[in-house]
Amino acid sequence: MSEHEEVHEAIELPHCSRCDSPLEPGDLRCAICGQAAPQTDRSANEKVSVTLLRCTGCGAAITYDPDHQAPACSFCGEVLRVETVDDPMEQTEVYLPMTVSIDEARAALKAWLGTRGWFTPSDLSSSSTLTEIKPLWWVAWIFDAEALVSWTADSNAGSGRSAWAPHSGQTPLRFDDMLVSGSRGLSESEAYAITPGMQLGTGNTSPSGGGDDATFERFDVPRSQARQQVLAAIEQTAADRVRAQHIPGTSFRKVRVAIVLRRLITRRYALPAYVLAYRYRDQLYRVVICGQNANLIVGSSPFSYAKLFALIGGIVGFVLFLLMIAAVAGS
Amino acid sequence: MASAPPAETTTEIACQSCGAVLSVAAKVRSTTCPYCASPSIIRRPPTANRPSPTFLVGFVVNHERATRAVRNWMSKSHLFARSDFKAAVPELTHGIYLPAYLYGAVVSANYSASIGENYTETETYTTTDSQGKSVRRTRTVTKTEWRPLSGQYQCYVVDVIVTASGGVTNEALEAIEPFDLRALRAYNDSFVAGWLAEEPTRSKEECFRLAHDETIAMVERRLQGFMPGDSHRGLQFHANLHNEVIDLVLLPVWSYAVRYAEDRPPVQILVNGQTGRVGGMVPVSTTKVAFAVFAVLGLILLVILLASMAS
Repeated sequence: MSEHEEVHEAIELPHCSRCDSPLEPGDLRCAICGQAAPQTDRSANEKVSVTLLRCTGCGAAITYDPDHQAPACSFCGEVLRVETVDDPMEQTEVYLPMTVSIDEARAALKAWLGTRGWFTPSDLSSSSTLTEIKPLWWVAWIFDAEALVSWTADSNAGSGRSAWAPHSGQTPLRFDDMLVSGSRGLSESEAYAITPGMQLGTGNTSPSGGGDDATFERFDVPRSQARQQVLAAIEQTAADRVRAQHIPGTSFRKVRVAIVLRRLITRRYALPAYVLAYRYRDQLYRVVICGQNANLIVGSSPFSYAKLFALIGGIVGFVLFLLMIAAVAGS
Repeated sequence: MASAPPAETTTEIACQSCGAVLSVAAKVRSTTCPYCASPSIIRRPPTANRPSPTFLVGFVVNHERATRAVRNWMSKSHLFARSDFKAAVPELTHGIYLPAYLYGAVVSANYSASIGENYTETETYTTTDSQGKSVRRTRTVTKTEWRPLSGQYQCYVVDVIVTASGGVTNEALEAIEPFDLRALRAYNDSFVAGWLAEEPTRSKEECFRLAHDETIAMVERRLQGFMPGDSHRGLQFHANLHNEVIDLVLLPVWSYAVRYAEDRPPVQILVNGQTGRVGGMVPVSTTKVAFAVFAVLGLILLVILLASMAS
């Protein structure tokens, strides 16, 4: 068993008897298949009994009040505390350590600026100044699941007079350590660009590395919304995989999937990164570096229009030169 | 096989506040003492057709808001509604926790259909130009190539709601759906205290049948959207429902009766106690319909007359 599995298996959660996905505290039903969670207090009464609920404050009978959405005493106004709908905000469970130091991040930025290609300014590396470097733990859901995916699509394989032919199929898929970003600080493309460098097996219950000035993101969606995001990501990933591996042909359209999901296990991670800002000629640019692998960098850099115009001028000049030679040779 | 609904018609209970002996209908789960106004909740031994409720959706819409919604709905009912119905005063009968079943299943279906894939062709045709000469021209036409497709489809179906109350039809309940099931709570007696809560009066077998029919209709809609191509026809499927779950849920409903004419039975109007959505049958005025038909016929005759005069 890997380390990150140990962190999570320590808390034994009840599982849905139908789809085998873990049920979290407060779940009345399985979020995947709708099966009712086992109830702890289902004592069956053998004979008819009558209950009268009394206010603990004044002893009068209480009734359910739609304005309070809870039972309340109509005499003294006391509202009875009852079980509320449990939809807590998501909380980070596992932190990956920041293994890249600030100095390594600076050096990685310097090296990256030198490899931005011919159309970046020649003095980019020497004239850029680092204005800010911020260690950040950004949040994401990592999930494992099994799925039976039914799919249909149009592809060019087997097409006749029309460019498209219909296809269908059904395939089991496994999702291991799939990531869905919950970050507000990083864009989706930034998050996915640095994700391959994360060593999920190194997780711990508290953060380490990154110094004292780190920023810790929090999940800002409740559990129900998080599940919707994860399910939408699963559907999108399933469609992408079916397109890449199972539909015959080379061009596709109208790829549709229906998924029966089992054993969906979701973990809430905080993942380390450095967010850097550098200035080049009064313009600020942003770069994100993976906190566990400094080779994974994503960001923006200036574009040299002078080089572009010089290239266009050179090509135009060369073509004119060729035309002149051709004209001279013709005369 | 589920047995028939419970045969007993009344249950005698003693009010836990004043001691009065009350006779309560067998389909009633909670009642209010007519002598001391104390709410009592009656717990009966669960049976196959009368299981204990698993879930409940609490009332959010209060009496005033529900009545306003009904008045608004009645006044804005369609053009052919009877005028006396629009002007009638809705009488509240009850705020009821209506028994319903929450059904879910895994669907495995085999389907087949003809899938239409469009393509364009340039064709030559002969026509007459403005000078009356016969000319050949070309045009692009879209044609459809039909290809057979068959396959297997599996999905979860969850949150199918069917009525378990003999007093409210499934169509009447559908008219005030949806209920926001994110607000589902585990059943607790305290939520029905002071309200009329009904026991299931339809057999579980009947409710299963209603749920199956709704689920099959839902699967057909999903398969319609699952088909590729530009169009499809001849969709056929055979669906097998397995791993079924069915749980009793109490839903909040305001029930109104509208008496709009002496010689007509009152109309039942339901209000979703969670969202305020109103549903019910609107009585149609035959006079208005007849007047509209005559008006349309008169208009057509007038147009024909004008056309014949013009020619």
